[in-house]
Amino acid sequence: MDDQTEKTSSPEQAQAPPSDEFAGLSPDSLREALRRMLLIRAFEETAEQLYFQGLIHGTMHLSIGQEGSAVGSIWALRPEDYILSTHRGHGHSIAKGAKPSLMMAEFLAKETGYCRGRGGSMHIADVETGNLGANGIVGGGIPLAAGVGVSIQMQKLDRVVMVFFGDGAANEGAFHESLNLASIWDLPVVYLCENNQYAMSMSVRRSMNIEDISQRACAYGIPGVSVDGNDFLAVYRAAKEAVDRARRGEGPTLIEAKTYRWKGHSRSDKQRYRTKEEVQEWQARDPIRRLAERMMAQGWLDEAAFQALQADVDREIQEAVRFAQESPEPDPATILEGVYA
Amino acid sequence: MATPVIMPKFGMAQEEGTVIRWLKQEGDRVEKGDVLLEVMTDKVDMEVEAQASGILQGIRVGPGETVPVTTVLAYILEPGEALPQDAAPTQAESQAEPQAAAATEATEVSAVKASPVARRMAAEQGIDLARLTGSGPGGRVTKEDVLAAVQAAQASPPPGRVRATPAARRLAREAGISLDGIPGSGPRGRIQAADVERRLAAQVPAPAPAQEPVPGPVGATTALPDQAAPLTGMRRTIARRLTQSWQTIPHVTFTASVDMRQAEALRQRLAPDVEAAGGRFTPTVLLALAVARLLPRHPRLNAWLQPQGDELLLTQHSRVNLGVAVALDEGLIVPVIHGAEELGLAALARRIGDLSQRARSGDLQPQEVMDGTFTISNLGMFPVDHFTALINPPQVAILAVGRAQMQPVWDGEGFQPAPVLRLTLSADHRAVDGAVAAAFLADLKAALEDPARLLL
Amino acid sequence: MSRELTYAQAIREAIALAMERDERVFLFGEDVGIYGGAFGVTDGLLDRFGPERVRDTPISEAVLAGVATGAAMTGMRPILEIQFMDFITLSMEQLVLQAAKLRFMLGGKVNIPFVLRTPAGAGTGAAAQHSESLENWFVHVPGIKVVMPSTPADAKGLLLGAIEDPNPVIFVEHKLLYRTKGPVPEGYTPIPLSQTEVKREGGDLTVVATSLMVARALEAAETLAQEGIQLEVVDPRTLKPLDEQPIIDSVKKTGRVLIVHEACKTGGYGGELAAIIAGSEAFDYLDAPIRRLAGLDMPVPYNRELERRMVPQVEDIVDAARKLVREGI
Repeated sequence: MDDQTEKTSSPEQAQAPPSDEFAGLSPDSLREALRRMLLIRAFEETAEQLYFQGLIHGTMHLSIGQEGSAVGSIWALRPEDYILSTHRGHGHSIAKGAKPSLMMAEFLAKETGYCRGRGGSMHIADVETGNLGANGIVGGGIPLAAGVGVSIQMQKLDRVVMVFFGDGAANEGAFHESLNLASIWDLPVVYLCENNQYAMSMSVRRSMNIEDISQRACAYGIPGVSVDGNDFLAVYRAAKEAVDRARRGEGPTLIEAKTYRWKGHSRSDKQRYRTKEEVQEWQARDPIRRLAERMMAQGWLDEAAFQALQADVDREIQEAVRFAQESPEPDPATILEGVYA
Repeated sequence: MATPVIMPKFGMAQEEGTVIRWLKQEGDRVEKGDVLLEVMTDKVDMEVEAQASGILQGIRVGPGETVPVTTVLAYILEPGEALPQDAAPTQAESQAEPQAAAATEATEVSAVKASPVARRMAAEQGIDLARLTGSGPGGRVTKEDVLAAVQAAQASPPPGRVRATPAARRLAREAGISLDGIPGSGPRGRIQAADVERRLAAQVPAPAPAQEPVPGPVGATTALPDQAAPLTGMRRTIARRLTQSWQTIPHVTFTASVDMRQAEALRQRLAPDVEAAGGRFTPTVLLALAVARLLPRHPRLNAWLQPQGDELLLTQHSRVNLGVAVALDEGLIVPVIHGAEELGLAALARRIGDLSQRARSGDLQPQEVMDGTFTISNLGMFPVDHFTALINPPQVAILAVGRAQMQPVWDGEGFQPAPVLRLTLSADHRAVDGAVAAAFLADLKAALEDPARLLL
Repeated sequence: MSRELTYAQAIREAIALAMERDERVFLFGEDVGIYGGAFGVTDGLLDRFGPERVRDTPISEAVLAGVATGAAMTGMRPILEIQFMDFITLSMEQLVLQAAKLRFMLGGKVNIPFVLRTPAGAGTGAAAQHSESLENWFVHVPGIKVVMPSTPADAKGLLLGAIEDPNPVIFVEHKLLYRTKGPVPEGYTPIPLSQTEVKREGGDLTVVATSLMVARALEAAETLAQEGIQLEVVDPRTLKPLDEQPIIDSVKKTGRVLIVHEACKTGGYGGELAAIIAGSEAFDYLDAPIRRLAGLDMPVPYNRELERRMVPQVEDIVDAARKLVREGI
C-alpha cells in the first residue's frame, strides 16, 4: 500500500493528458484518484462500524459524499505542498497520502497512530506528506494558512498551501482577516471552502445572503470560483488553476466546492434540519459513481475493474483495522510528552 | 482596671527577657514605682517597676523563664477586681478588652451568682462560671449567658488546636516537645518559631527529686553535674554573637611585644593621685588611655562594617566609644566608655572602675553596653601570655592584652630585665589591611614604651 | 562588557541580534515598521532589515497569531508584536487552541517556535482597555511559555532566550519599564528560560515579584534596610514553566513570603505561587501567613490617583513587608 501511495500521489508526473474532458489527467492518475475516493469511503464506513461497536471513543465527523472535493482539489497539489484540514478531514488526509493503518491506529487511540493516540479523529496530521493537521476549531486553520504562506514566501520554497474549511467557517472573522492578509502580501494560499450546505444544523440559506461563497473573494481583490464539489474533474480544474497562480507568486484564490455530507454532523446528530428526500437527491450525485461512469464511458474502466478496486480498498482497510487493534496503547508514563518541545 | 506587668523592651534589638526573681509576691499590695521584679535582657539585668498601685495578681512567668518582650508577666488589680480572662494578651490588646474591666464581681468561684439551670448547663458544657459576666439581676449568670459562652467556645478553635506557624510546628516536632503552653508572640497569640526556640532554650532538664542535697558549691551550672542544659540569657547571646563573628568575619591577627618599664613607672607614680581623684590606675586604665588617645589617628580601626543589602557599609567614627571587657561568672560583658578620647586620666579611671563594678553587680544600663567602636580585652591578671580575641561585630578590631612577663630586653648595650607585654590586635580583614594594623600597633607600642608621647 | 541601555533599547538590540544571526527570524505586527512600534521599541529595524523581514500588518490580531503559528510550524522563527496586551484577546483562539496545542495534538511532530511580544501594565493613563496585565491567562495554558523581564539586561537576554526556545512564548513587556536604564551585556547573550533569579539577598522576608513590581520591591527593600529589615527579592522571570526551587529555598531561609504582582489578585499568578510554596518543603519553615499584594479586582481606572491605587506601589510593599516581619500578619 505504501508503494502505491508513493508512486501515484503526484498526478502531475502521470502520463500525458489524452483529452481535455479529463483535464489532462492520465487514465492511471484517474484510476488512482478513484481508488483514493473509494479508500476514503471504505475507511469512514469502517470507522463508523467500529464506533457503533464501541471501539472508538469520543466522536468523529464523516465526509462520506464529499470525496470528490477532497481528492479533486488535492490532486492539483504536489507531495511537498501543504494542506490544513478541518474536523471533517479524513478525506483530505487520505487524498494527500496518509496511511489508513496509521489513521486507524489514531482512531483507536494507539501509540502507533499519527498523533500517538493524543489527537484522535479531529487532529489527524501527517507532516511528512505536507498534511499540517486537521483542526477541531471551525475556521481554525484559516489564519494558520496565512502563516504557512508567509513561511513559503520568505523561504522562497516552490510550494503552496491549501486550506480546507466549510461554509460555517466562512462566517468567522478570522476568514476575513486571513484572506485580506494573504491578498495584500500575495501569499501562496488556496482557500478551499467545502460548502456541504450545513454548519451543523444551520443551513447556508439561513446563514448568509449570497448565492455563492466565492462571491466574497471580490472583497479582497482575489479570484473566487464556485464549482460542483461532487464533480471530481470540476474541482480539479479549479484547484489546478488556483495552485498554479499561487505557485507563480500571484496570490491567493477562494474556491467554493458545493457538496453534501450524507451522514449527520457527528455521531449524535438526529438530522432534524433536513429531509430524507434531500439526502437521497444528493446521494444520486455520488462523486465516486460519477467519476467511475465517466471513465467507463471513455473505456478506461469496466465494472470488473471497479469491483477489483473496491476489493483492493476493502482489503487495505481491514488490514488497517488489524494493525490498529494489535498496536499498543500509549504508555501512561509518557503522558506529558509533546506538551513542550 | 487591671494593669498588666509586661516584659519590658529595653533596647532596639532586644527580643526577649528572662525573669530573675520577683521582689513582690502574688497578692502583695504594691505602689506605683515599686520594683516588682528583676529581669535579664541580652546582657543586662533590669528592674521592672509597678506602673500602677494595687494588688499584684496572676504572676504567670516565674524565675528562669524567658519570654518575648511585651509578654504579660502579671497584673496589678484594684481591690476586688478579677483577673482578665485571656491567657497572654499584649498590653495593647488587654487594654482593648472591655470584658477585662467589666468583670467587677468578686471572683471566688463559689461566690458566683448563677441561676440553677445556668449552673447545670455550665457544668455539662465545661464552662467556668467565674469567667462569665452575668446579665441577670445583680449580675447573676443566666441560661442565656451560658448559651452565649457555649457558642463563643464553639466559634473559637477546639481545645488542643494550638495556633502556631508551620515553622513553629516543625521545630516542636523535631525537638519532640508539645506546643501546649508555649506563649505565642504572634498575632492573637500565634506561636512563632522564635517562641519554640525560646522554650527549647529555656528548657532545663526535669528537676531532681525535691531537696536532694547537692554536693559542692551551689551555682546554676554546678548544681546539675553531667547534665546538658541549653544556654540561656547572656550565655546564649554570647554564643550567637561569637558564632556570627567567627563565621562571617575574616579575622587577621597582629602581635607586638611592648617594654612596659616606663609605663609601669608612670602608673605607680600617678596611682596615688588617681586614687585621690576617686579612681584606680590599673594597667587596663593605662592601656585604655593609650588606645583612646591613638585611635582618632587610626579611624580605619575605630569603625563599623555592616552589611546593607548586597553592599558592606564602612562607618569610620570620630568619637572613640571604647569597650572594656569585664569577665563575669556567667560570661563576659563589655561596658562602653563613650567619648573616651576626651576623658582625662582620672575621669577615665573612675569611669572604668564604676562600669566594671556595676557590670559585676548586674546594674548596667542598656546604653552602657551599646555603640562600642573598639574593644580591649585584658587577661593580664591571669597567667595568660597572649591570646587572640574575636571581634565584636560590627566593630572591625579588638585588642587582646596578655600578662606582663619579666624578660631580658636589649637596650643597645646589654640585656635589661623588663616587664614585657604582648598585645594582639584582631582585625576584620575586609576593612583593615596589614599596614593599617601595623601602624596602629607601632604607635601604641611607642606610646606605652614612652608614655610622654601620649601628650603629643 | 556591558553598558547602560534602556529596556526598550535592550529589546531592540535583541531583535536585531537575532535577525542578524538567523535568517528565519522576522518581525511583524501593527505599526512595527515605518512607525517604529507604538512605543518605539522597533524603531530603525525596518531600515536595517527591509520590509520582508519587518512587516507592517493590518489590524488583524487573529490572523497575526495564526501567521506566527503557521510560519513557526513550517520552519520560521517569527516575532509578533501585539501592540497592547489588551488586544491579545482578539488573538486568543489562535494562541490557546492552535499554538499551544498543535504540537501535543500532533503527537509531538511539530515545533512552534515563536515569540509574541506585548506591552502590558497600567500607569500611563490609558485606562481600562490599554492597561491590562493578562499574563496569568497564558500561564493557565499548557504548551505556552510566559516570560516577564524586569530589567534591561533580562529583557535582552530573555528575549534572545525566548527566540531560541522551540515553543510559543508570550513575552510580556511593561510600558513603565521601557525607559528604565540598566547595564546590559554586549553581544549575543541569551538567558535560558525558566531560571528564577534572586535579585537581592536578605534574611527577613522573601518578596516574589514580577515585571515592574520587581523594581518596586527593590526600592522597598532599600527603604526597609534602613529599618533593619532585609528583603530578599526573587524574580521568577519565566512564569511558566516556573523554576520553583529558588523560591522555595528563599522561603525556607526567611520563613516569610510576600508575593507582588500588578495583575488583579483573584485568579492571579500570586495564588499559584502561594500554592506552590504552601505545598512545598518550605511549608514547614513558614513563620507567617503567605501574603499577596496585587492589583485590585477592577478595570484599570483613568484618573491618575485611582490608577495609582489600583496597582501596588513602593509604599504598599514597604507597609506589607514591614507588617509581615514585625507583626507576622
